[in-house]
Amino acid sequence: MSRAAGLRATGLGPTALVLVAGALIVLIWGQEYAGSVFVLSACYAIVTAGMAVQIGFSQQIAFSQSVFMGAGAYGVALLNGNLGLSVLEATPLVMIGAGIAALALGVVVTRASGLALAVATLMLPLIAVGYVTSASYLGGAVGQPLTGTLWPGDSQASVAVGGGLVVVAFLAIAVFVASRVLRSDIGLELFVLGADERTAAAMGVRTPRRKLELFVLGCVFASLGGAAYAGTQQFVPETIVDPTAELALLIMLFIGGRRSIIGAVVGALVIQYLQGASSWVSVNILVVEGVVLTIVLLVDAEGLAGIAAAGVAWLRARLGVPGLMAPVAPAAAGTAPAAGLTATGPTAGPAAADAAASGTAGDRSEAVRAGEAVSGGETLLEVRGIGKEYGGLTVLDDVSLSLPSHGLFGLCGPNGAGKSTLLNVIGGSVRAERGQVLLNGADIGRRPPHERFGLGISRTFQAVHLVKGRTVLDNVAVSCLASHHASIITRITRSHLADARAKAAAALSDLGLADIQDREVSSLTLEAQRMVELARAMAPGPRLLLLDEPASGLSEEQRQRLAVTLSQLAARTCVLLVEHDLDLVAQVSERIFVLSQGRLVFDGDPEGFRASPVVTSLLVGL
Amino acid sequence: MKLGNLIIAGVVTGSIYATFAVCVAVWYRVSNILNLAVGDFAMVGALCVDNLYRVRGLPLWAAIVTTLLVVAVFAWLYDIIVLRLAVDGRGRAEGIVLTFFFTFALSFFIDGVAKMAFGSDVHAAPALWNGASIAMADLHVARAGILVLACAVLIGGLFWVYIRFTLGGKALEASGENALGARIVGIDTRRYRRWIFVGTAVIAAVFGIVESPITGYTYLSGATISLTGFLAAAYGGFRKPGRALLAGLFIGVLEALLGGYVSAEYGTTVMYAILAALVLAWPRGLGFESAVSG
Repeated sequence: MSRAAGLRATGLGPTALVLVAGALIVLIWGQEYAGSVFVLSACYAIVTAGMAVQIGFSQQIAFSQSVFMGAGAYGVALLNGNLGLSVLEATPLVMIGAGIAALALGVVVTRASGLALAVATLMLPLIAVGYVTSASYLGGAVGQPLTGTLWPGDSQASVAVGGGLVVVAFLAIAVFVASRVLRSDIGLELFVLGADERTAAAMGVRTPRRKLELFVLGCVFASLGGAAYAGTQQFVPETIVDPTAELALLIMLFIGGRRSIIGAVVGALVIQYLQGASSWVSVNILVVEGVVLTIVLLVDAEGLAGIAAAGVAWLRARLGVPGLMAPVAPAAAGTAPAAGLTATGPTAGPAAADAAASGTAGDRSEAVRAGEAVSGGETLLEVRGIGKEYGGLTVLDDVSLSLPSHGLFGLCGPNGAGKSTLLNVIGGSVRAERGQVLLNGADIGRRPPHERFGLGISRTFQAVHLVKGRTVLDNVAVSCLASHHASIITRITRSHLADARAKAAAALSDLGLADIQDREVSSLTLEAQRMVELARAMAPGPRLLLLDEPASGLSEEQRQRLAVTLSQLAARTCVLLVEHDLDLVAQVSERIFVLSQGRLVFDGDPEGFRASPVVTSLLVGL
Repeated sequence: MKLGNLIIAGVVTGSIYATFAVCVAVWYRVSNILNLAVGDFAMVGALCVDNLYRVRGLPLWAAIVTTLLVVAVFAWLYDIIVLRLAVDGRGRAEGIVLTFFFTFALSFFIDGVAKMAFGSDVHAAPALWNGASIAMADLHVARAGILVLACAVLIGGLFWVYIRFTLGGKALEASGENALGARIVGIDTRRYRRWIFVGTAVIAAVFGIVESPITGYTYLSGATISLTGFLAAAYGGFRKPGRALLAGLFIGVLEALLGGYVSAEYGTTVMYAILAALVLAWPRGLGFESAVSG
């Protein structure tokens, strides 16, 4: 890995860039107009750096930044004016206050997700501006002046340059924290949370806590930006909290590039510079912002950062330089994943595949027998009398079954029989109305999905739920993270992403997928995607593996490879397999359950399954 | 009779929110894009008519016709240039969030152009129905208010008939449910998206012209109306025009009552707090979850 890539991985690169470039600009132009515009834009950039983490990366759209920026600015102004604290002394106090307020507000607000979160928080600036304009102690519609400055110098020049350097230092801290978090194992959690909250929960991510942390982080960053604003501008206008200010911040973020910290900083610089560059732009800033945002979004949804990345990739391609970011770049050239899969298939000698393919109970592969040999033992999972209704329609009716700690168990039934619902009840994404789910004798029926994951229940989904924009390795690493109980703050100093990636790499090589680990997932074939999902589910070494139609969409040949893999898994763990392919189920399972209209109608071994008239009429005679 | 008068005033503003909410909901059904710029078209309608009539001396009818034409042509151009590239183009903008930002940008652009063209003072289109407010016992209704209500009922009724009873309405619904599926069975979803967009822009402009004598508009008024209409649409789960309409009326009446009884200063603030609390307390009931997944 080159030094540049190393810097990128530690998050020191962007920080150093901001620190050096910012300090140079302030030292050279600090006393001129251009310098003052830069300092103002740096105040906004502190806010947008937080937004890149919260909104861009984790896709938690909350319209709370202008309000907390205002809280920071007014807080500093009040502490400075009434208590005589200097701006630098007031800043940490204000940040702590903002953090506590954000925590209290966030507990309520982050219960909502997606559009509900956006709409609920959209009202915050509306409430705030109504309050501020009427509050005389904040200066009402006139605004609040400050006597103190961020840097208490004795000359105009030292105030301007000193204040500018402090703002640059604040910005560098913000960029450092944001970059470190995003590059850590929690950063990976956040990315998955943004892409698909349900998958994140199924992989053990404690989504409510992460959403709350993100909200607080965004608010504290905003209050720091507000404090810097008040200390350098020495005036807090009431417009700082209004919806237009919020939208302007969002525009900065989206122009710069919502998923890039440096992009977010650049977005703030661009907008403020445009305003400062000419009085025409300053007067007609709305038109300029509207046009620039439209054009940037049309060219690249990832904003200026996306355009820059595309430009660099193009240049590299032209010059024939291999990319530093090979993992993230879409593999246009391609290394034929399917071929790789076949060649290095899991221990897969063709003989084993053939044996598995023959499909009769008598000649099942060694692996299956090995699985059977160790199966049994104490009961791992017990489901008792589960009942579930959807709007009056009974989906599950008094379903009971129990599974030992090893082996492969099939779950079949016609469409709508309740197979996926039963899997969801066991996995925790659906709560049953009646009955119990026991894991090793303990009732887990009321535990959320992420806790069940922690107890060793891992799953795949009927439709592939991989996270686009990330490599195969990172997609698998998601399930190996040890960060679920850690807080975002701890990741500023130390990340354990490398450990998770190592574990993921081992799981991938176990399944013969090592050579596609650096590919971006959406460039893979369906079979490879399903295998990656399987790798993700088994990588943490689960006690119970729930597989929802892993063979759907696969060819006959691919199914046979899957059968071999499944048989091997069953030797290590307990696998519950929902599948429509009856031959596959009968071939690999040691015991099969059949659901029909929510009731368990068959429970027996593959021979009985093939012979059963119930099964034949239900499944074969469809 | 304070209560009665407050309710009347609330129903009048509420009917504007309701109409805008219906516009947002109907277009969302067709395009899967949330339009935050509806209110800005209302503002442009009012200020443009005022400018053409008062400053440039056009006859009122000519000012209105010209304004509506300008709005329609602008909306049409926006669709064929920006929306076509954004939604149908090569680098298709995916997800509700990204497309939403296009209408953010549109709203900023319209406001900025209005500031350039009409300045930043408060203006209003001339009253279309002159005279003192109509009194019945102690109840007073502004004549402009009656016009607003009439427009709301007329437009709401037309929408209802169109969606409920015409083939075009069914096709429109199909476009929103599954754009690809609708296209496969021969429905030109892009055409529907375009005509509903142009239509809602013109409707908004009409409302701006009719309502502005009551409140007066500046170049920034559009954003506030949009936001409230948008919230009302949100309470209707973005896809249900009927519920959006009720939510709009509810918000209008709530705003008037809070302004009259609680505090003229903090009335709006309290209203937004109540609305936020409703979203948080009852997200599923308000249809947010279906809106997100759908």
